[in-house]
Amino acid sequence: MVTANSTNLELELRRGVVVLATLSQLRTPRYGYALRQALADNGLSIEEGTLYPLLRRLESQGWLQSEWKIEDGPPRRYYALNDRGRALLVKLTASWQGINEAMDRLLKEDDR
Amino acid sequence: MNANDVIEAYVHDVARQLPRRQRNDVAFELRALLHEELQARADEAGQAAEADMAIALVRDFGQPDDVAARYRPAFTIIDPVDGQRFLRATVIGLAVIWVLGLLTCLCQPLDSGSAVLRMLGQWWSGTVMSSLWWPGLLVIGFGGAAWARRRWPQGHAWTPRNNDRIPGGRTAMVMVVISIFCGIGVLIDPRWILDMALHGRAAPAAYDALTYTDTFRHRQGPCLLTALLLNLPLMCAVIVQGRWTPRLRQLELALGLVTCALMLWAALDGTVFVGEASDRTVKFMLVLLTVISLGSFGMRWYRGLRPTPAPRTHALH
Repeated sequence: MVTANSTNLELELRRGVVVLATLSQLRTPRYGYALRQALADNGLSIEEGTLYPLLRRLESQGWLQSEWKIEDGPPRRYYALNDRGRALLVKLTASWQGINEAMDRLLKEDDR
Repeated sequence: MNANDVIEAYVHDVARQLPRRQRNDVAFELRALLHEELQARADEAGQAAEADMAIALVRDFGQPDDVAARYRPAFTIIDPVDGQRFLRATVIGLAVIWVLGLLTCLCQPLDSGSAVLRMLGQWWSGTVMSSLWWPGLLVIGFGGAAWARRRWPQGHAWTPRNNDRIPGGRTAMVMVVISIFCGIGVLIDPRWILDMALHGRAAPAAYDALTYTDTFRHRQGPCLLTALLLNLPLMCAVIVQGRWTPRLRQLELALGLVTCALMLWAALDGTVFVGEASDRTVKFMLVLLTVISLGSFGMRWYRGLRPTPAPRTHALH
């Protein structure tokens, strides 16, 4: 029970950073599978069932633009930040850094 | 079924739940991504992509319903904040409707097993099934409230208010006083309603039906009239004070409990009206009024904040 609860809390914690992590990797155009690989290579594995629908939602909300391309393989839909998305990335990055610093201080206090 | 068939079936189940304008596009993309994921798993395992591997992949991806929901913007009819209240109102409302329906059905003569079964069947079809209007009405009400909150968030901002305020203000209390006067008039002589409504042209049977029995006129009637009269100075005091003070609330509770006891006494002991049908109806109304009043007092007590928190048994370390 404790493990199940802690897993849920960990998922909740990760859910908060998924959008920022995704936006951070879309400064250059990427398709879904390549994006997931890029995130995993940097230590953040996101389930495919979460990531692919998220890309569509971010696009429908106006943060991303996308287009179909054929580059040495089957047709793939490439996603990238648009102007609004870049502004959002800057804003979320600032928020994240603020939160990160605050959490660092809080967790260090706990270590004492 | 091979791996390709598994992915096709999965994509179909997801896509058919999506809006038509994005269905084909999402299906095309999802199919390509799943094939790519499957190929990566097959390469990692060092074997060809098989149906079992494809099934494991799509199961990891999620139930088609869940995945389709993730593609769509979140849509809620009843806000999570209203979930508990909606559930409570549904359960209480249905319980009241079902119990009242059952009581009504129990008024029929039940002289055999088949009569009981017939009564239960009648209760099921006439009360239980038709009571589904209540949750439907609540969905519309709560859904409308949620929509209004999202549409005009400023209008729903929290504002401080006194807990001892009069709901509806002094105007509402004046209306209550007028209602009490009407209640006193009805209690003194209910036939007054017939004169008011039909200007004395009501059938004699109607006057007979609303004639009090001597027992009620001499026993419960005067007590109920006294209780009703005592409400007048209480309401006037609330109007003068402009709020419900703790003392006035205590008086209201005491008077309410006494009135409930008197109404139960009138409903359970003896007859109220000479007419049998009108007697049965008024007793039903008295019991219903008592249940609602007691429920209201109980709810107020249950929801009220205690002046001090419950004592802790463990100290914080």
